[in-house]
Amino acid sequence: MAESNPKLVCFSCKFGWGYLSEESALASKITNWIPVVCSGKIDTSHILKAFRAGADGVLILGCSEGHCHFQDGNIQTEKKVLLLQKVLETFGIEQERLEIQLSMDPDGQNIPLLIKKMEENLIKLGPIKRL
Amino acid sequence: MADKPKVAVYWLGACAGCDESIVDLNETLLQLAQVVDIVLWPVAMDFKYAHIEALKDGEISLSILSGSVRNSDHEEMAGLLRKKSKLVLALGACACFGGTAGLANFKTKEEIFSWVYLDAPTVVNPEARFPQTETRVDGKVLTLPEFYDHVYTLDQIIEVDYYLPGCPPPPDLIANAVNSVLTGDLPPIGSTLAPRMALCDTCSRNKKKPSKMEITQIKRIHEVEADPDSCFLAEGIICMGPATRTGCGETCMKTNLPCRGCFGPPPGVVGAGPKYLSALTSLIKAEKTEEIHEIIKDIVDPAGYFYRFTQPSSILGRKKPKKQMEE
Repeated sequence: MAESNPKLVCFSCKFGWGYLSEESALASKITNWIPVVCSGKIDTSHILKAFRAGADGVLILGCSEGHCHFQDGNIQTEKKVLLLQKVLETFGIEQERLEIQLSMDPDGQNIPLLIKKMEENLIKLGPIKRL
Repeated sequence: MADKPKVAVYWLGACAGCDESIVDLNETLLQLAQVVDIVLWPVAMDFKYAHIEALKDGEISLSILSGSVRNSDHEEMAGLLRKKSKLVLALGACACFGGTAGLANFKTKEEIFSWVYLDAPTVVNPEARFPQTETRVDGKVLTLPEFYDHVYTLDQIIEVDYYLPGCPPPPDLIANAVNSVLTGDLPPIGSTLAPRMALCDTCSRNKKKPSKMEITQIKRIHEVEADPDSCFLAEGIICMGPATRTGCGETCMKTNLPCRGCFGPPPGVVGAGPKYLSALTSLIKAEKTEEIHEIIKDIVDPAGYFYRFTQPSSILGRKKPKKQMEE
């Protein structure tokens, strides 16, 4: 990881985040952004593969509680993420490197801001030591 | 003797449980000894490595290797037997996935050495001496194998033709594997010589599984008196069955213990750990963040549970040996 340029992978739900904006316009502002049809679609292996491939952090943006288009995909992923954080800690990957936020942002204007905020935290953490 | 197919059995970073399982072939072992020439089996018989080195390349029909690769001696013997063998069978969870010894990858070599030779309460080592690969004594050099900084699966070190997982693998599957080699009735190279289904598919407790499972509390097996017929997960006891290949004969279930995952993942799954984590969390009944925390706080050492036998072959745990990285 370059000192000022951590690699962050962001998965976001298309139903809650940025659906009113042109996806390509948003994508031009964000690197490593993967809009998915539901945050429940994100598998634990996708997250682990991102770290394996060199990500310094993974941010997941799902719909707020009670607003999942598919009933409870957001909660299913929150459960996975909270337990996976504990597993990652044992692998030497700090829990703060995997974050989930359940909220709504139809314009998607907050996505780059949230990424920037997490990147700042990743800079403080420095590179992953063990992998 | 010369016409019989040659078979070698060797242990790398292993506990001899796999060898014990071969011994458990009982009378079948005697029949086997009639039709094959066992050229190496350190646990059971006396052989010299020089005899193996003197064999032609590919002269051994089958080498059965158990254990993970943790030091330079393991690597050397694995390489030698690969060279001398037509087929190599990785026997047991350690050879296939790294095994319980692979959990050591959660610590560095330095942390392990500090604990074992310095900090453990029963250790007295005032001069802080650590094992060396070379020590000079009276003008002579004594050597020890180099302890690597990582536990490797066998196929991260040499090419492996077939896999038979388990801790230990059951004797019936070992007999089938050896018979397949002797008769030439073998599946494609790279196959695992065990059933393809998940353990839950063959578990007798599956019949009593409720149609909808909802875990509200995680319990450890020693904390409860588990019903001998019920699905462990339905009772909130962590059982690795959903993410584990069957073939073990359900020996743990029969003694009222949940599956620990020694057969590794079913075919097509890379990493039993994350898949199991997903399966388990989908059963947890929680709708709010605090409720999730409240339930998962009782999972003591989740990484140890989910990666008990598979850390070195997992997505995050796998590492290339130094030699391969240099190539």
